[in-house]
Amino acid sequence: MHRPFAQPRPLGPAALRSLCLVVVLVALAAPASAGAQQRDTTRRDTTARRTPRDSVAADSARRVADSIAVVRELERLQNEPRAAPPQQPVGQGGPTNPRLLPDISAVGDLVGDLSSDGSTQDGGERFTVREVELAVQAAVDPFFRGDVFLGLSDLEKVSIEQAYLTATSLPWGLEVRLGRFLMPVGKQNTTHRHDLHTVDYPYALQRFLGAEGLKGTGIYAARIFAPFGFYQELILTAVDRFGEAPEGLTTVEPINKNLSGLGYSARLRNYWDLNEASNVELSFSGITGRREQPVAGGDSSLATAARQSVIGADFTYRWRPLQQGLYKSFILQAEFMRQLNERDPALQLPVGIPSAGFTYAGPDRDFSAAYVFARYQLTRRGYLGARFDTFQDEAASGRTSTAGSGYLEFFPSEFSKLLAAYERYSPALGSATNRILLQATFALGPHKPHPF
Amino acid sequence: MGTQRIFSMAALALALANGAALAAPPDAGAQLKVVTSTTDLYQIAKAVGGDKITATHIGEGYQDPHFIEAKPSFVLQLRNADVWAFVGLDLEIGWMPLLLQGARNPRLQPGQPGYVDVSKIVPVLDVARGNVDRSQGDVHPLGNPHYWLDPENGRRIAQLFRDTFSQLDPKNASVYSANEKAFTQRLDAAERTWQADLAKIKGQPVVAWHTSWRYFAEYTGMNIVGFMEPKPGVPPSPSHLAGLIETMKRTGAKVIVMEPFYDRKTAEFVASKTGAKVLVLPPSVGGAKGLDDYIQLMTYDIHQLATAL
Repeated sequence: MHRPFAQPRPLGPAALRSLCLVVVLVALAAPASAGAQQRDTTRRDTTARRTPRDSVAADSARRVADSIAVVRELERLQNEPRAAPPQQPVGQGGPTNPRLLPDISAVGDLVGDLSSDGSTQDGGERFTVREVELAVQAAVDPFFRGDVFLGLSDLEKVSIEQAYLTATSLPWGLEVRLGRFLMPVGKQNTTHRHDLHTVDYPYALQRFLGAEGLKGTGIYAARIFAPFGFYQELILTAVDRFGEAPEGLTTVEPINKNLSGLGYSARLRNYWDLNEASNVELSFSGITGRREQPVAGGDSSLATAARQSVIGADFTYRWRPLQQGLYKSFILQAEFMRQLNERDPALQLPVGIPSAGFTYAGPDRDFSAAYVFARYQLTRRGYLGARFDTFQDEAASGRTSTAGSGYLEFFPSEFSKLLAAYERYSPALGSATNRILLQATFALGPHKPHPF
Repeated sequence: MGTQRIFSMAALALALANGAALAAPPDAGAQLKVVTSTTDLYQIAKAVGGDKITATHIGEGYQDPHFIEAKPSFVLQLRNADVWAFVGLDLEIGWMPLLLQGARNPRLQPGQPGYVDVSKIVPVLDVARGNVDRSQGDVHPLGNPHYWLDPENGRRIAQLFRDTFSQLDPKNASVYSANEKAFTQRLDAAERTWQADLAKIKGQPVVAWHTSWRYFAEYTGMNIVGFMEPKPGVPPSPSHLAGLIETMKRTGAKVIVMEPFYDRKTAEFVASKTGAKVLVLPPSVGGAKGLDDYIQLMTYDIHQLATAL
């Protein structure tokens, strides 16, 4: 039953010697061949001395003979059995990407808001293309990989969501990125919004890190450890600033004039396999930096720099039996965050303006927020999820707001998702509201890894 | 300016360290650390490597290899590995990139001897022709990746491991060569015992759940007349099942071959309408109790199918 299979082998020394010999012989033969061509030319000169009539007759006879030979050759070829069809390709044959094009993909995020009290989307639309994300990803060279994610939306037009260079060959298990990236603070912040199992980020992240998640531009360094026999990873970042600059607030000096004004974060991940079907992750994060906070008593845009930090812990339990993993799974996730605010920062005022009459109008207390999320797989393509959010609302003097929401997710394939959500939001001040949201996402382009 | 200086120095240090670490060779004298994506590759690697290697695998034989979770514990396995051997043809596309990026192991980067795409040495079936898009299901444009179910490819895999291990660990090349030869001889001997079963299977119509049995069919001669999936990776719809039932009645297909990780109820429904038998065949080593060896797996699958027909 053996089927012969010729596998290319590297040339051995003997083969190399033979190859060199052939090359030398070819090189020596080349001038001889050139000389032969010159001799032919001489011969033509000799024949040119014959009479024109002899020459025409001879040429005509030669042409007829040549034509007959060509026809016979064609007939012979036609009568030959057709060449066998090409063998099954062995492996991937040649390069699959000979032009070295990067992977290009797009993700569309469509949202419908059927809430009874009007749309709760930023632009007030009932149906909106919330964002289209374009990704361009490839190895840059043997040392680096490049990833660029552009966000397109009606509100922000075009924005650089992420653009980073990753060193792929560092020693000591280090990973270093340079550029803009999702900040490794908390669990869900490192997931693209369209990859969430809910329509929006949890309120804790929205309030403390930003509605679209927290990004940073700077340096990211991570290292894996396993001194206690389980997976641990420490991730440190230093970024241009903590969060985006708020609209309508300006400080006298740039917030990051000094290195203490940059944003710094740390995250420690701890992961355990409980058994082959279930595992747990318990991680801790923190970020600190200076942010613009309002100053009362003068121009409403006047701001001063105040330190703000967010610390937190997150827990994720996953269950997916290996044999039935296509049909059954469960996730339980929770995060707790606490925002720490500098209460009495030094006011930065324009030169020559006395400080009398100006007072700090930023947050004067700390705030906490948390959520719990669970998702159970009903069928191969259907999932049922629920989330409970609670947070101390700065706009309500720290009183607690809550939200409870349920989700029905349906995946026609790995590349599309349909989601229906109901949320009851109970603010600290005012009456509760109901939100009904629909979402459809789709992915075009190369198959991406499944987020874990 | 201070920030710029810091960024510049960081970039310089990064570039220097990056170049220094590229493709450091495995430790001389130590066992080769081999990680494979599937149990089949693992078992053949063990047969060839013997006690000169330590080997682990990511997926289990009773698990759908398309949908393995990229757990951080797998990253730890890959972090110090000398060899990462995988099936290729995009079988592991849903999880392998996360693991390799997470492992940050220069020896396992594409182009390094430790990055072993096994599909490079086998004849591939079902390579996509013409325009390919996802309306055709979860297609593998580079070809069908389930090639280990043809024992001839088992031999080729063993030869590839022999060559790879010998390149990375030349002092034990003779051991790898002898082990590969022994593996091939065992497979040859087993193959001679399969002939009666193969004669029963040849030309018999069957239905398969997924395209994972294409190579097995090529080898055994079983005639796949339909698939439970309307398109690769797409669960069966009622209209597709109705058509499939008609096809089975027309062709006389008596067996539905399926993997242990698919929903048996759907196959049982089709079987009840056609009088066919549902045959759960493990597609990989470890897919059923006691099948801890590649040759055992092939023997078991061929015999089970012949018995069911």
